[in-house]
Amino acid sequence: MRKKISTLLTCSVLLALSACGLGSSGSDTDSDDTIKIGTLFSVSGAGANLGDKMRKGAELAVKQVNADGGIDGKKIDWVFYDPAGDTSTAVQQTNRMLDSDGVELIVGGGGSSGIALAMDPITSGRGVAFIATEGARQIVEPAAEAHPLTFKTTFNDTVMVERLIAFWKAHDITRVAFMPDTSSFGQSAQEELERLAPEAGIKVFTAAFDPAANDLTPQVKRLAGNDPQAYLAWTITPAGVTFLKNLRSVLGDSDVMVMHGFGFVDDRYMQQAGAASTGTILVSPKLPVWDRIDASDPQQPVMEDFATAYAEEYGGEQPNVYAGQAYDAMMVAVAALRATGGDTDGEKIADAVEALGTHVGVTGAFKFTADDHSGLTVDDVAVIQWDGSRFVPVE
Amino acid sequence: MDTGLLIQVILSGLSVGAIYALVAVGFGVIFNATGAINFVQGEYVMVGGLSAAMLYEAWDVPVLVAIVAAVALTVLLGVLTEFGLLGFGRLRTPASITIATIAIAVIIKGAAMLISDRDTYALPSVLGAGSLQVWGASTSRQTVLNLLLAVVAVVALALFFQRTKLGTTLRAAAGDSETLQTFGVSYRTTARWAFVIAAALGAVAGAGLAPLTVMSFDSGTLLGLKGFAAAMLGGLGNPRGALAGGLMLGIAEAVMSGYGAAAYADVVAFVVLLAILTLRPTGMFGTAQAVRT
Repeated sequence: MRKKISTLLTCSVLLALSACGLGSSGSDTDSDDTIKIGTLFSVSGAGANLGDKMRKGAELAVKQVNADGGIDGKKIDWVFYDPAGDTSTAVQQTNRMLDSDGVELIVGGGGSSGIALAMDPITSGRGVAFIATEGARQIVEPAAEAHPLTFKTTFNDTVMVERLIAFWKAHDITRVAFMPDTSSFGQSAQEELERLAPEAGIKVFTAAFDPAANDLTPQVKRLAGNDPQAYLAWTITPAGVTFLKNLRSVLGDSDVMVMHGFGFVDDRYMQQAGAASTGTILVSPKLPVWDRIDASDPQQPVMEDFATAYAEEYGGEQPNVYAGQAYDAMMVAVAALRATGGDTDGEKIADAVEALGTHVGVTGAFKFTADDHSGLTVDDVAVIQWDGSRFVPVE
Repeated sequence: MDTGLLIQVILSGLSVGAIYALVAVGFGVIFNATGAINFVQGEYVMVGGLSAAMLYEAWDVPVLVAIVAAVALTVLLGVLTEFGLLGFGRLRTPASITIATIAIAVIIKGAAMLISDRDTYALPSVLGAGSLQVWGASTSRQTVLNLLLAVVAVVALALFFQRTKLGTTLRAAAGDSETLQTFGVSYRTTARWAFVIAAALGAVAGAGLAPLTVMSFDSGTLLGLKGFAAAMLGGLGNPRGALAGGLMLGIAEAVMSGYGAAAYADVVAFVVLLAILTLRPTGMFGTAQAVRT
């Protein structure tokens, strides 16, 4: 009896361990009535919170398309895996999707740039189109030469940095303290900022921080010695909350400008920083302020429909920008599939995406070309501010 | 030399180091009673901090009530950990218990992920949001409380292990549990007490950490490893050593953040751990175990 119980326990432990890596696959039918789209998002592991939002965004798109009768009568058969933030798991799952699941097109790159970068050679090598939902510009650059079949529905940090620089110039800010985290998201932004800011006459002082850090006061204090007019953090992790709290603690009532990048646009994070977050300025897609922007903006109704449908589907939950990116990626794939008449050949889909013209999505008005596989420009960026209870546009 | 920055680095180190110290003390308690390394210790910190913050948000109770409830919950988890490890009667060697704690840590983390729905939660400080200014540097009031908690915990445990019957029994259990059992002392009972104390320490560390940052299901693992490094640094099983180890590790990391490359701040803990394991396996304050033949 004892032995049985311990065997059982061992099994359940093994099961619990492996369950994280196993995903659910839609169904085994592989007929001509469906188009198999594969998706990877990390709904467990370190970035689980964002992965969950992305999964919901993509799922909503699939449901809407299938409820509308699918793509030329073909329903989407959605295959989903959770790599739990682990790149090697993601590589295995990508191979499995393409080898045994019969996936014809991949949307969503695991929720982390590192994973998407590792998936791209696999999909490209087999002539499969891949629409990523991750940030790093290297996923799609250079597009024409190295990534003809890979697209993404996120902003290049170059675009965000250009918008920031324009904003600082408009506000006569010439000295900026920059705190990126040490992930590829933060480091890539640092590269761009340090490349573009000097040309604009802006001096940047940088101190990086570990995304797992619980105290950033040494960095803030060090940067404060340079007397900057604005502090900008660049992270998607909760350490951004610590940044806001520590900044207030070290700088007291000083009225310097406190800023975050587009990875930190999240109501919850802002609320959790308490009073320290009020007045924080962020560069962001327009989604958080969809109800405050000009109704003549063609993106406005798209965002409103998305926000309404999302809240309805997920018990009143508000979508964030990550859910929007995943929704857009799926919808771009669907638009391309409609153009090819359901043909999933990688090159045909890539040509179709490049020929979409302007695809008005939740994240922006995408204009994909042979050389730009990210499709978003500074016109799609909003500068927003947390007023203590919600995000509002900044002039 | 910018003294403001120097003071800031020290304050930051003490703030984070106090948490490491509390985690390190927890490792020591279990080690003293079972001879095993309890890798669930970091998850106790996560459960303590996360559940306090979740209770505070969900029920809108006073912070202190949420913390007390969270400590109680974590202690219950400690008792369950002991049952999971020793309740089936097959695990007795420190090595097998240590390995099993890793499995339990993974299960607790997975459960926390599902219960918290992967969200982050914040907890205000019982002392309010204000910060203290010290010679041109600043720190949150919570830091002072955390330091105080770490010192009190260490003194109380040192007295407990040296002066009380249960404490002495716990120490004896680590030395030679079989002989102890021939005197009619249950191994399970001593182990259970050790887990209760370790879980309570972890929960207090979590409740102390939560106001400085935010908590998620993922907050415990790295903290557990750093607490372990701090415990090794000070000498495993020695409460005073754990306090010194934790504070030193915290300050070493803060120095890296303030003066060096922050990218490597996390590495400090593990370089320290490696160095100590190689050069002085008993830690700075530990003494080699005397073996009577």
